[in-house]
Amino acid sequence: MTHLDTELQQLKDNLIEMWTLVKNQLSKAQEALFNNDKDLAREVVSLEKRVNAFELGIDQDCENIFALFNPVAVDLRLVLAIIKINNNLERQGDSAKGVAKFVIEFDGPFDKHLLDITRITEMFTENITMLDELTEAFEKEDGVIARKTFKRDELLDEINDHTTAVVAEYIRKNLENTEQALQILSIIRKLERSGDHSKNIAEEIIFYTEAKVLKHKGKDKK
Amino acid sequence: MHILETKAINLHYGDFHALKGISMVANKNTVTALIGPSGCGKSTYLRLFNRMNDLIDNVEISGQVLVDGEDIYSRRVHVDDLRKKVGMVFQKPNPFPKSIYENVAYGLRVNGINDKKFIEERVISSLEQAALWNEVKDKLNKSAFELSGGQQQRLCIARALAIQPSVLLMDEPASALDPLSTSKIEELIYSLKKDYTIVIVTHNMQQAGRVSDYTAFFYMGTLVEYNETKIIFTNPQNTQTQNYITGRFG
Amino acid sequence: MKISIIQRKRYSQNIAFWAFRLLSFMVVAILFIILGFLIYNGVKVISWDFLTEMPQDGMTKGGIYPAIIGTLCLIVGSILFAFPIGVLSALFMNEYMKDSWFKRFLNQMTNNLGGIPSIVFGLFGMALFVNKFGFGDSIIAGSLTLGLMVLPVIIRTTEEALKAVNDTFRHASLALGSSKWQTVRRVVLPIAFPNIITGVILSIGRVSGETAPILFTVAAYFLPRLPQSIFDQVMALPYHLYVIITSGTNIEESRPMAYGTALVLITIVLIMNLVANALRRYFGKKVKMS
Repeated sequence: MTHLDTELQQLKDNLIEMWTLVKNQLSKAQEALFNNDKDLAREVVSLEKRVNAFELGIDQDCENIFALFNPVAVDLRLVLAIIKINNNLERQGDSAKGVAKFVIEFDGPFDKHLLDITRITEMFTENITMLDELTEAFEKEDGVIARKTFKRDELLDEINDHTTAVVAEYIRKNLENTEQALQILSIIRKLERSGDHSKNIAEEIIFYTEAKVLKHKGKDKK
Repeated sequence: MHILETKAINLHYGDFHALKGISMVANKNTVTALIGPSGCGKSTYLRLFNRMNDLIDNVEISGQVLVDGEDIYSRRVHVDDLRKKVGMVFQKPNPFPKSIYENVAYGLRVNGINDKKFIEERVISSLEQAALWNEVKDKLNKSAFELSGGQQQRLCIARALAIQPSVLLMDEPASALDPLSTSKIEELIYSLKKDYTIVIVTHNMQQAGRVSDYTAFFYMGTLVEYNETKIIFTNPQNTQTQNYITGRFG
Repeated sequence: MKISIIQRKRYSQNIAFWAFRLLSFMVVAILFIILGFLIYNGVKVISWDFLTEMPQDGMTKGGIYPAIIGTLCLIVGSILFAFPIGVLSALFMNEYMKDSWFKRFLNQMTNNLGGIPSIVFGLFGMALFVNKFGFGDSIIAGSLTLGLMVLPVIIRTTEEALKAVNDTFRHASLALGSSKWQTVRRVVLPIAFPNIITGVILSIGRVSGETAPILFTVAAYFLPRLPQSIFDQVMALPYHLYVIITSGTNIEESRPMAYGTALVLITIVLIMNLVANALRRYFGKKVKMS
């Protein structure tokens, strides 16, 4: 293994560690939300600092690799991809923190029915599965696995599209729960954004493994 | 303790003030790169540590050069002993007109080692360390001149390693080689770091970035900036350094 | 216009090249003319007897055996003396001395020594070795005188040979902790040796051909026996040649003998050159291979 290989491996390991952390943040946020577990939510908020620290560290490492090794070809694409994946993961960490903050700040009885009709569980699961698959795709340098993400993202978009109507209907019937309904709506928006970040990550993995630029192309071409 | 250290070194070649008050340290098992434009004093500085400057007439040195805490220019230090501890690899591959085996054995023989078995073991282990063994194991008795330039340079590294120095000085070791041989030498430097302290002079900025932990920028006989290579290459503190490494010099 | 300039360029180049070619052929031609002349005139007298018998009848008959042996003795004697001294002093000057006025002075003196006419060496040899040391006219006095004469040649060529050894070899050796002497003995000398041999070749040529230095120190006019020790006089080819041409008992009759002697002398020099060349090539190869 060359010197550069060693450095790149180190960088990949760090990124995967961050990846796992972000995934755990999301699933903890989900658990906190469903069980109204404020302690767990606080843990998520405090762990967000670690996610941020990871982001800064990985950025720094990438900068050093550019400056010291002048990577080219597949190495260059890897480092570029890592920078962007890093950025997207951090934003997904922010989403998890947003959910946790809502759990901490909201008091009063919470209507579980609202969670069911908005299919929010499904959204969490999809998001976490996407992160799992993407980690696998990245480690195996497998564009096919990464491509599964696009389908899942479409599902998230579809749920998101229906949510406005569903929540509006709910508010009409349960005026006293307007606030929590709106909050749930914003969480769903966050989870939809998180799906978009996953999609970006998938694009970066494909760029790195296959040297194809998929960004800003029509859906049919993917 | 720092394995290499200079304290306020001034060096004159006749009237020419080649090194101006240079103080610097290097830690054990690190690679330090000396960079700077031609004639900046980096090679002269490198040659302080094994006293190769002694070979030039009219050199005057003031200040202290410490290797393992010992002032190597003091009367108590014998230059032959010093050079056993501080090995050197030169710019152009310069194997002796002898066989591959004898080239590596040379340093042992001149230092009074005659035990055949010992020499053989050391020759093999040095060639292995220099990542050359697999290429030469079937032709140890062939002339060293039959090797390619890159192989010759690795042979020279093996020759320097055979007497087990603790410091290895390298004066532009890859500047006469093709890119592939160069990257082999660079990988070798990286792998040798765990056993040796290495100081390398290089004209190639990328090389300094790839192989070194610390980088010193010399200009007109002064040490302009000395820091971790990472910092020199991402955020140098001195404008001159920045201009040099970005190729905007002069 | 342009074409004519180009043509002129080509013509002048052709003319120049032909001139150089002719000149270099001329050098070879002169050598062959001399050789041919000697062979034509001298080959008649060359025979086994000519090479192995004593001169007889006032040097008009018989052979030149003692002169051949004498010349060989002088070659060996002078090289034995001049080679070690010359090589060692060149080593000292080139490898050990730092650049100083003294070194430059020594160099200048070496050059001056080389510029002294050979007859002066003869005179000096007679004064010092023959008279002062009391060697008398002898092989040792002659060898020492000839040795002194070729010393500058050996020093100069050895120095050139040492300078031709790239400093990178010395640096590599010194950087491995070897002493200066180890560097000289194990690295520098083996590389320089083939070229040092060149110096010896040149000296052998001079030693075997010079007449003046041996005139007063060793050469016998007529001595039809082999030397018994290094304190004996001997005959020598160049002097013998001189004698039978200028002051023999019957110059006309010994003329063919003179050509034969010259032919033998030249052949000895050529053979020595060939041997030295072979040695040089042998050592040269050894340096590369070992």
